[in-house]
Amino acid sequence: MTSNSPVVVAAPTGSIYDLGYRHYEGARRGRVWAMWSLYAESLRGIWGFGRPMSAKAIPLILAGLYSIYALIQLAFSSVFANMRAQGEEVTLVTYADYFTAMWIFLFFFCVAQAPEVVCRDQRYSVLPLYFTRALGRVEYAAARLASLATAIFIVLMIPNIALFIGDILMKTDTFTAIGDEVPKALPSIPASVLIALGLSAISLALSSFTPRRAYAAIGIVAYVLLMEAIPAVIYSIGRSPVSTESSNGMDRLFLLTPVTALQGANAWFFDAHLDPNTFLGHITAEEYLVAAVASVVVFTAVLMFRYRRVAA
Amino acid sequence: MPLIETVGLSKHYGPVKALDRLDVSVEPGIIGLVGANGAGKSTLIKILLGVIPPTSGKATVAGLDAVTETREIRHLVGYMPEHDCLPPDVGATEFVTHMARISGLPRTAARERTAEVLRHVGLYEERYRQIGGYSTGMKQRVKLAQALVHDPKVLLLDEPTNGLDPTGRDEMLDLIKRTGTDFGITVVVASHLLGEIEQVCTYLLAIDAGHLLNAAPISHFTQRTAVLAVEVEQGAEELAGLLTSKGARTTVDGACVLVVINGDGIYDVVRDSVADLSLPLVRMQQERRRLEDIFRDPVPAGEANQ
Repeated sequence: MTSNSPVVVAAPTGSIYDLGYRHYEGARRGRVWAMWSLYAESLRGIWGFGRPMSAKAIPLILAGLYSIYALIQLAFSSVFANMRAQGEEVTLVTYADYFTAMWIFLFFFCVAQAPEVVCRDQRYSVLPLYFTRALGRVEYAAARLASLATAIFIVLMIPNIALFIGDILMKTDTFTAIGDEVPKALPSIPASVLIALGLSAISLALSSFTPRRAYAAIGIVAYVLLMEAIPAVIYSIGRSPVSTESSNGMDRLFLLTPVTALQGANAWFFDAHLDPNTFLGHITAEEYLVAAVASVVVFTAVLMFRYRRVAA
Repeated sequence: MPLIETVGLSKHYGPVKALDRLDVSVEPGIIGLVGANGAGKSTLIKILLGVIPPTSGKATVAGLDAVTETREIRHLVGYMPEHDCLPPDVGATEFVTHMARISGLPRTAARERTAEVLRHVGLYEERYRQIGGYSTGMKQRVKLAQALVHDPKVLLLDEPTNGLDPTGRDEMLDLIKRTGTDFGITVVVASHLLGEIEQVCTYLLAIDAGHLLNAAPISHFTQRTAVLAVEVEQGAEELAGLLTSKGARTTVDGACVLVVINGDGIYDVVRDSVADLSLPLVRMQQERRRLEDIFRDPVPAGEANQ
């Protein structure tokens, strides 16, 4: 290399490979960039990018399981279209009831990935490295929350997109089909945003209290399942066997349920009817919407509170 | 203006005074922060970083207040914690790049700086492997790299040689020395091992139970002291007695007589006294004060300074 580079030969001292230490003179960006970087890293981490293969398997499998019904429906859309053309009655899953039917897989996704997002940093004491940089505690928590919410939103949108394509393929005239489908599909975007925020706030807030992934996962499962079950039990005990009319106020407890509230709020976006088999009591979709938004606010506050206090 | 300055800095944890009215003023260089475990070294570092607020008093880094101007300070400082702080399932390159970006470096600059800093700390092919498989020495290097990656003005290292074998220790100390002298980065090394401090530092801060014990350039501690050690096989007491009668100030330390040097004539006095008593002389040596002495009751050294 030196032979065809006489300048280097002429250099008085030093090896050409030893560049020495150079000071960094370039730009230093602020906290927005730090938050964005953490958000991007976190989102990659949730899907296992840059991590071993095993870290990719669980999120992909659970996202696949959540979407599988819609994907099957998409695969068989031509069959259903033929059946409909022959005048047969075909009941297909819709945007409005997809989350209500398949929520359990999305819930498992949260159980598996929320601890991944926040527990590692506590377990391996990485937090001091963040908090001694230009990244505040609240900003840290916000970036982590945003990344999990984005991941959940992506999972929510996969079946919606599959349903959308499937519905269009079932129609003969594609252009009018798109015109018909778009208004039906659009509410799924704000609904998915709310569901994603709700699930991520609950699962991250609970995960942030322990450095151990397993405990965090158990905590999320225990909280959600208990909060789903307890109001139902109290409601059925409190309900008078004589009267089917429930006016004892016990059905208000359903507003505390984490998942049912999100399902009810989801129905509000689609202006859908609340199936009394799923939604016990006499609670309207509007009330569920308020409850869901309130739970997002409360659990986000819990998360922020936790990170204001956690030892660095 | 001093680079790091504290005035009346106190930090109390309930009844425990981790730092008690500490006044410190540090000029650029390699600064050793010594003290026993629990002396308040880590507390001081964390206050300087703005991670924990002081109970009272004031701390500044490069003229910036550690409580109110934390964000500005953090661009200027790099911090290497005492404990493990690395996730095991990512590679060193990915981790350090990420930390560079959190420090505010744009994407490309973060990658370039990471490559440079990892080369500097001596991580080559293994940088793409997962950190979980690293040895303790390699992990310490990654920890140092993440503290250096954003090119800080001040590097705060909390027990950087923790858990390292003697070779790894020497390499780490050499790395610290190069960082301080070649790059012009001020390094604060907290350690309870005086030997390490002696090897690399130019300035020493000794703290004990939250108080400043001593602060001076390292040469001040290790300089030749005006004490002559005269070792004899026997008759140390007699020699001391004779020397004292001749007007020298002496202390007997086992087989050694420590004589305060008050002029060139003292050597002749010692020679003559030893000859007069026909004592078997083993050695005569000017004593160096050692760093350990600052934690001991410095009897001879104290006299020498009078």
